[in-house]
Amino acid sequence: MSGLTRPAQPGRDAGPALRPVPWPRMIWVTWRQHRGVLVSVAAVLAAVSVFLLVAGLKVHHDDTALINCHPANSQACAARNSSFNNADWTMGNTVLILMNLAPALLGAFTGPTVLARELETGTFRYAWTQGIGRVRWTIAKLTLLAVVLTILAGAFSQLFAWFFDPFLGFEGMNVLAATVFDTRGIDFAAWTLVAFAAGAFLGMLTRRIIPAMAATLGAYLGLTLLAWLVLREDYPVALDTTNGNLFSGQNTPNSPWILKTWTVGNTDWWRFIPVSRFWPMQFIESGWLLLLAIALGAGTVWLVRRRAA
Amino acid sequence: MNVIETAGLGKCYGKSWALRDCTLTVPEGSLAALVGPNGAGKSTLMNMAVGLTLPTAGTATVLGGQVIRSPAALNDIAFMAQDAPVYKSLSVADMLHLTRNLNRRFDADTARARLADLGIPLKKKTGKLSGGQQAQVALTVALARRPRLLILDEPLSALDPLARQDFLATVMTAMADDGVSVLLSSHALAELERVADYLVVLGGGELRLAGAVDDLLAEHRVLTGPAAGTDQFAAQLSAVQVKRAGAQAHLLVRDGGPGRTVPPGWESHPVGLEELVLAYLRPAGGGTPSATAAGSRTELTEVPR
Amino acid sequence: MTIDKQNSPIEFRLDPSSGVPTYLQLVQQVEHALRLGYLQPGDQLPKVRDVVAALTINPNTVLKAYKELETKGLAAGRPGQGTFVQATLSQVTLPELSGLRRSMLGWLSSAEEAGLDEDGIVALFTSVMREFFKSRGAAAGQSGDGETEGVA
Repeated sequence: MSGLTRPAQPGRDAGPALRPVPWPRMIWVTWRQHRGVLVSVAAVLAAVSVFLLVAGLKVHHDDTALINCHPANSQACAARNSSFNNADWTMGNTVLILMNLAPALLGAFTGPTVLARELETGTFRYAWTQGIGRVRWTIAKLTLLAVVLTILAGAFSQLFAWFFDPFLGFEGMNVLAATVFDTRGIDFAAWTLVAFAAGAFLGMLTRRIIPAMAATLGAYLGLTLLAWLVLREDYPVALDTTNGNLFSGQNTPNSPWILKTWTVGNTDWWRFIPVSRFWPMQFIESGWLLLLAIALGAGTVWLVRRRAA
Repeated sequence: MNVIETAGLGKCYGKSWALRDCTLTVPEGSLAALVGPNGAGKSTLMNMAVGLTLPTAGTATVLGGQVIRSPAALNDIAFMAQDAPVYKSLSVADMLHLTRNLNRRFDADTARARLADLGIPLKKKTGKLSGGQQAQVALTVALARRPRLLILDEPLSALDPLARQDFLATVMTAMADDGVSVLLSSHALAELERVADYLVVLGGGELRLAGAVDDLLAEHRVLTGPAAGTDQFAAQLSAVQVKRAGAQAHLLVRDGGPGRTVPPGWESHPVGLEELVLAYLRPAGGGTPSATAAGSRTELTEVPR
Repeated sequence: MTIDKQNSPIEFRLDPSSGVPTYLQLVQQVEHALRLGYLQPGDQLPKVRDVVAALTINPNTVLKAYKELETKGLAAGRPGQGTFVQATLSQVTLPELSGLRRSMLGWLSSAEEAGLDEDGIVALFTSVMREFFKSRGAAAGQSGDGETEGVA
């Protein structure tokens, strides 16, 4: 209505260029909104860590006792050996399998809560109309949660690696073995990061939490199989040799991983990866996993920006 | 300054248009009531105004030409969606803190005082509050941002009469204190009559009528007279709606301004807001009155008495 | 921040069924209060905010009413303070009012004797009153819309 006097409006920014809401504000926001999820994850990891610690001490003890058992052929030592091969190994193997599932579970549990939860409950209508804007909001949340999860996962996997060390050599498993490689070094953290990024991305695509969780598990499975069966063999760390003597001897933790053999003329060739290439392989795999996670994150942000609900 | 300006705005979902060819300007400092039946396009229009939905056709700007979803627009517009979404697991105090962190501007003291006046405890989880209280919390955090424009999507529909009063009183007080402009939608006009000074009527995805309430009421009137002379006068006087019985007819005409005359043998009455809105909403198919061309000739419609 | 206690001697109320526009009701109530002496020059009219909070009406409506009163010269706004009564309307004293009441009662008895019921009395009174004021102030500033009526 023109010409009427309106009350003065103190405290209103009439400034021309608006400074954006600063990034650190999102720390409290992310924490408060995802506190439940983060605390749950930390609690579970803590509980399992306690178990790994206790069980690991036992396993290490049994292993040392076995190694130091003299004479090696005696009944007592054989019994120890048998016990270790059965009880300890069964437990260790089970934990190994669970450890391989862990990144998928962590990602499926945490990823969709970032976006799918907002879309499903309708709270995005609040969140995306706030002054900070949806892009900053998304980037901050994804980054903060990714960092926390990755650190937790990384620390946890170190503990597991220690736990599992006495089992290296069992069933031909060395650190390069498919299921073992994922759980050590920086690989576990990288896989967890990718699972989280996939969970967030799929959450934005499906807009529902449960379908996003299912899709994350499925995608993770596919990606893992791809890495195990196809990609790892092609990492540029393999060596070719005609020296068959490298492969004699029983399976020990130091046995190389044989990729394939072929014959040229009268010579046999082996393609293999020595155990010493563990860390280069870790960096290669973590590298492309990190890139993939970033790509998924960027894709998520792009969807947030573009998609109107 | 116009707080909302649209030109040919439209939104299409698949094959059907939720809103089509909507051109309107909502002036600053008013409470604009957006009315229409369910499915008329009210939510669609509001969602486009705050950037939650992208238009399929046409353009829209806010706050005097700002781009929607720009930092200026996000900063100065507060939106409350239908069903007042709040994070149910957060306490009221958390919601305040959350909103403070997500915005440049936040008046926490006024917000806390308002909530105290309403008797809403800060420590309680919002999910445990009543519907009316949740709506008040959502409104309070929206107003605490000191927006220049407040957009409320059907805020009253889930509230009991007392809660509605409280809600509207809060909105009105904010208008008086801060000069905030308000766009508020409802499918029930009666409760908005006392508070609205600008009206936007949507029906079937189309803009049927828009204007300041005082102007609209001054421009329209109902002429009552013999049915025999109806056709002649309806054409002359650009009738919006005709109600005809055997001997008597009522014409709703839009021919405002000084110096208009009453045909001999006819009486003139002022028209009420609700009657006006219903008249513009009623014809669904042919004979839809055009809201943008004032005084255009329309087909006659008969409404069985 | 608590809502300020009313600093004004008067408080508005609305009659939603009267058919009179809200802003006009406020104007009339101020004029009424002036006539009856509830408001004196210098008194403050209720703050816009308080009216709005109490009646749940649009603040622009209150502002419109106050502007109307300003136009009529009855009130004036002071920036930052509020709106204050400026002039007064000729007050009808209590004895005058009693006299008017008595003569009205007399007229009413006559009307009833003539056969008019309540609605008939109201209709007659309303039409005569309209004629009376029309002939006095048919010019500017009225709330009518300036139509000329044909023969009804």
